Amino acid sequence: MAGSLIFGDREIEFLKELVRQKVEFMIVGLSAAALQGAPVVTQDIDLWFRTLPDPGLERALKKVRGVYVPPTARNAPMFAGKGIELFDIVLSMDGLGEFDEEKRQAIKIPLGRTKVLVLNLERIIASKRAAGREKDRIILKVLSDALKAIRERGRSKPVRDE
Amino acid sequence: MKISMDKVEYECRRRDLNVGEMLREAGVSRNAFYSLARKDYVVPPSLIRIAERLGISVSALLEDTDTPVERMKSLAAESERISRRYPGVDRDNIRHTLLLLDEKPVERLRRALRRGRFIDIR
Repeated sequence: MAGSLIFGDREIEFLKELVRQKVEFMIVGLSAAALQGAPVVTQDIDLWFRTLPDPGLERALKKVRGVYVPPTARNAPMFAGKGIELFDIVLSMDGLGEFDEEKRQAIKIPLGRTKVLVLNLERIIASKRAAGREKDRIILKVLSDALKAIRERGRSKPVRDE
Repeated sequence: MKISMDKVEYECRRRDLNVGEMLREAGVSRNAFYSLARKDYVVPPSLIRIAERLGISVSALLEDTDTPVERMKSLAAESERISRRYPGVDRDNIRHTLLLLDEKPVERLRRALRRGRFIDIR
């Protein structure tokens, strides 16, 4: 039962509010890869923000009763509150250009009744390759195979919802 | 045999869509759909006559071509084609990706998160 509650209305509501408040962000990392069809697992949803703090983000958080926890010497910035604990904050990406540059190649994917910007799979692969951690190296093969399958499916019939 | 609007709406609701959105995504115009939905018979008259002659319902003569077995066969063929085109790819990666592409993005993400809860990838 608990499994079916992962990424439910609360999480979608938060993303919808971010879009409504015109916060510049995109979903990156393995959750972005999963949204595009890659068979991966992940424990959180990485959100890459163009700038922080952002007044729009504050308004969105207020709406979902969440809070922004600023960075400390030991911890990166994070969110606290029900419905947003799944989200991690990302301020820069290994091996990628600036936010604006990557945004041009990002794709919009529908989640519930809203559409969110998602880093495209090719660029996710580039960032994993640049990060070069053990866990990134392991997943690279899956991501690159998935990219081939997605491209091939796109040639024969449109990729659903994208 | 006619289109059941109740069934169409029910299937749309299950997928978090309204009928308009579903038609747009399916590439079917509203005019085409509603003109079909108004008809009392949407199957060819010849099939209706055959069913009448046999004294059975038209549905008794039809079979669903999109059975799970057919779907998996077609998926395996597609996976095979892609694997041949890209030597060195892992066939399971291709097959799993193709399966996920038939789901809505939100379901793909939920799947990844559900599995991530049980596997420590850090």
